[in-house]
Amino acid sequence: MALTFLRGIQLNPSMLYPSSYFARKHGVLFCCMRSAQTQTATQEKEQPKLKISTQNQSKTVDKILKDYEAVIGIETHVQLSTLTKAFCSCPYNYGSPPNTSVCPVCMGLPGALPVLNSKVIECAVRVGLALNCKLSLSSKFDRKQYFYPDLPKGYQISQFDIPIASGGYLDVDLPVEFGGGHRKFGVTRVHMEEDAGKLLHTDGGSYSQVDLNRAGVPLLEIVSEPDMRTGIEAAEYAAELQRLVRYLGVSNGNMQEGSLRCDVNISVRPIGQLEFGTKVEIKNLNSFSSVSRAIDYEISRQVLLHSQGQVDQIVQETRLWEEGAQKTVTMRKKEGLADYRYFPEPDLPGVTLTEEYVDNIRKSLPEVPEAKRRRYENMGLSMQDVLFLANDMNIAEFFDATIAAGADVKLAANWIMGDIAAYMKNEKVTINEIKLTPQELGELIASIKDGTISGKIGKEILFEVMAKGGTVKGLIKEKDLVQIVDTAEIEKLVDKVIADNPMQLEQYRGGKTKLQGFFAGQVMKESKGKANPKLLNKILLEKLNATS
Amino acid sequence: MGSSIKALHLLKPATDSFFFSFTKNGISSLPLSIKQRRSYSMKSSVLEPPDVPRLAETARISLIPQQVEEFAPKIRQVIDWFGQLQAVDLQSIEPALRADTEGDNLRDDVPEKFENREALISVVPSFEEPYIKVPKVLNKE
Repeated sequence: MALTFLRGIQLNPSMLYPSSYFARKHGVLFCCMRSAQTQTATQEKEQPKLKISTQNQSKTVDKILKDYEAVIGIETHVQLSTLTKAFCSCPYNYGSPPNTSVCPVCMGLPGALPVLNSKVIECAVRVGLALNCKLSLSSKFDRKQYFYPDLPKGYQISQFDIPIASGGYLDVDLPVEFGGGHRKFGVTRVHMEEDAGKLLHTDGGSYSQVDLNRAGVPLLEIVSEPDMRTGIEAAEYAAELQRLVRYLGVSNGNMQEGSLRCDVNISVRPIGQLEFGTKVEIKNLNSFSSVSRAIDYEISRQVLLHSQGQVDQIVQETRLWEEGAQKTVTMRKKEGLADYRYFPEPDLPGVTLTEEYVDNIRKSLPEVPEAKRRRYENMGLSMQDVLFLANDMNIAEFFDATIAAGADVKLAANWIMGDIAAYMKNEKVTINEIKLTPQELGELIASIKDGTISGKIGKEILFEVMAKGGTVKGLIKEKDLVQIVDTAEIEKLVDKVIADNPMQLEQYRGGKTKLQGFFAGQVMKESKGKANPKLLNKILLEKLNATS
Repeated sequence: MGSSIKALHLLKPATDSFFFSFTKNGISSLPLSIKQRRSYSMKSSVLEPPDVPRLAETARISLIPQQVEEFAPKIRQVIDWFGQLQAVDLQSIEPALRADTEGDNLRDDVPEKFENREALISVVPSFEEPYIKVPKVLNKE
C-alpha cells in the first residue's frame, strides 16, 4: 500500500489529497513508513511536503466544495434468489464447491439451448412494479458480446433496447443523523440478465482460475437516473434498494456475498452549469459506507482538479475503491465506448406479459418499506423509530404483530428498539430466533400498564422469555411476581426495614434525607422487587417523617 | 436457395480462383450474372465496407497485414451479397428475430443436477481441480 501511495506522489506531484480525513489517514501512513527501513532518500524528502499541503488543503477544500455540485447515478446488480439458474436447471447455492453446479448450457457447450426460468420474469415484474416502473408487455433478450474467461459462451444474455421495466422511481428517507429528509430518485430501467462466473487471480501465479457455478445465475440490473448529489444520498438509495429486494423476497441483497453490487457514476460541475462534467465510474464498493466514502473522496478529488484549472485531468475512466487506503485509483481508462455488438437472442422466444399476470403480481406485493415508513409515521412514531423499525422486514413484521395484539404503539417500539434489540445484538440472533412472540410482548406491555407487574420485573420476564420461551402470564404466576399494591403489605415491609436499620433512621431524621433512597432500595429488596414503587415511596416517606 | 449456396461458396477459403481472383479493374473474372446482380445491389446497398483489422480484433483472430489485404475484398464480396437483401421492400413486414415457437417456452424453478459432470470437465482444455485454468487476466476489456 505504501509503495502505491508513494508512486502516486512521484508521478503526480501536483495531486493533493483532499479532505482532512485523508490527511489523518496519511499521517498514520507516514509514521509507519518512517519506521520502515526500505525507503530511499527521495521518498524521505517527499513526505513532509505532503503533510503540510494536506493540512492547508482541508480548509480550502471545504470552501471550494460549496461552489461545485456532484452528479451521481448508480447501476445496481441484484442476484435473484431463485433455486435454479436463469437459463438452465442447475441449482445455485452460494459457497458450493467450485465447478460443481454446471451443465452444458451454463458452460456454453455447442448446441446447448437456454430455457428461461419463469421465476426470473416474476421477480423482474415484482421489482419493476415496486419501483413504480412502466412494464414492457413485450420485451426480449439480446446478446451482449464480450470476451472474457468468466463468460464461457463469449456473450452475455441480457436485455438491450427493450428492458422489461423502465421509467420508475424510488422513495428514500435519509438517516436522521445525517440531517434526515425525504428524496425521490428516478429509476431509468430494470432489466434481466445472467451473471458471469467467478475469476480468481492467483498471487504471483502465471494463470487465473475460473469457477463457473455463478455463470448463468439470474440478475436484475437496476439503473438510476443521475439524481443523487452526495455520498449519503447514494448510499441511502442503495440501502433502500436492498430493503426493497428483501421485502419483495427476490434476493438476499447481501453485499458481502456479491448478491447486491453497486457501480457508481460520478461527475462534478460548477454550480449553475447545466451540462455534466466528465464522468468517472467507481467499482469495488462492498458496503454502503464504502459507497458513501468513495463518492466523497471522488468529489473532493474532482473538485480540486476543477479549482486548480486541471479539468482535463478528469478523464472518463473506471476507478477502483481501495478500502485499505480509503481512496480511488485508476483501473482502466476508457477509449471510447466498448462495442458489445448487441443483437436479439435467437435462441430465446420474446418475453410476453399479460395484463392479468401483472395484476396478479401487483396484488401479491407486500407493503414496501416506503409505505411502511409512512404508516409508522402516521402512528405518531418519531423518524428515528420509524427508520429503525422499517429497516428490517422481520423486525417490522414483529412490531406489526405486537400492535395487532393490542399493544401500545410507542411502548412496543421502545421495547423492541431497547431491550430486545440489545439482546439480539449480544446473543447475535435475529428477531425470528428469539423465543419471545409478538403476542407475549403484547401481554408483557399490558401487564405493566395495568400494574400487575412493575417495569423492573417486566424486564426480567422479557429476558427470560426471550432466552427460554414460555408465557408472560405463566412466569408471573410461577415465580409469584405479581406486583404488591396492597398498602397494608407494603407498610409491613417498610416497618421491618425501618426497624432493622435504626442507625440510618437516626441519620435520616438528623437531616440526611438522602438516605430515603437507601430505605426505598431495602424495602424493594425485601419485597423481591414486587412492591409498587409509587406506593412504596409514599408509605416510606410517611413513616420516615412520622414520629420526628 | 440457389443464391444462399453461392453465399456459402463465398465464405469458403479462397481456393476457387474463378470466384476470387481480383484484378485492378475489380471483379472482372466473375460470371456476368453475378456482376449484374452485384452492380444492382451496389445501388441500394447501405452497408459499410468492412474494417478487417477491427473485425479480426472482435473475433479474437490475429491477422498479418498481408492477410488483411487478402481477406478484405473477399469479406467485401460477402457483405455486398447481403447488400442485395437491402433492396427488398420490408416496409409492411414485422421483423422476424427468431424462428417462431409456440408459447413462451418457460421452465419452472425446479433444480435438476446435471449428472455427467465428468464428461463436461474432461473437455475443459486446462483443468486443475477444482478450477478451470486460464491465462492470467487482470482487467476486464
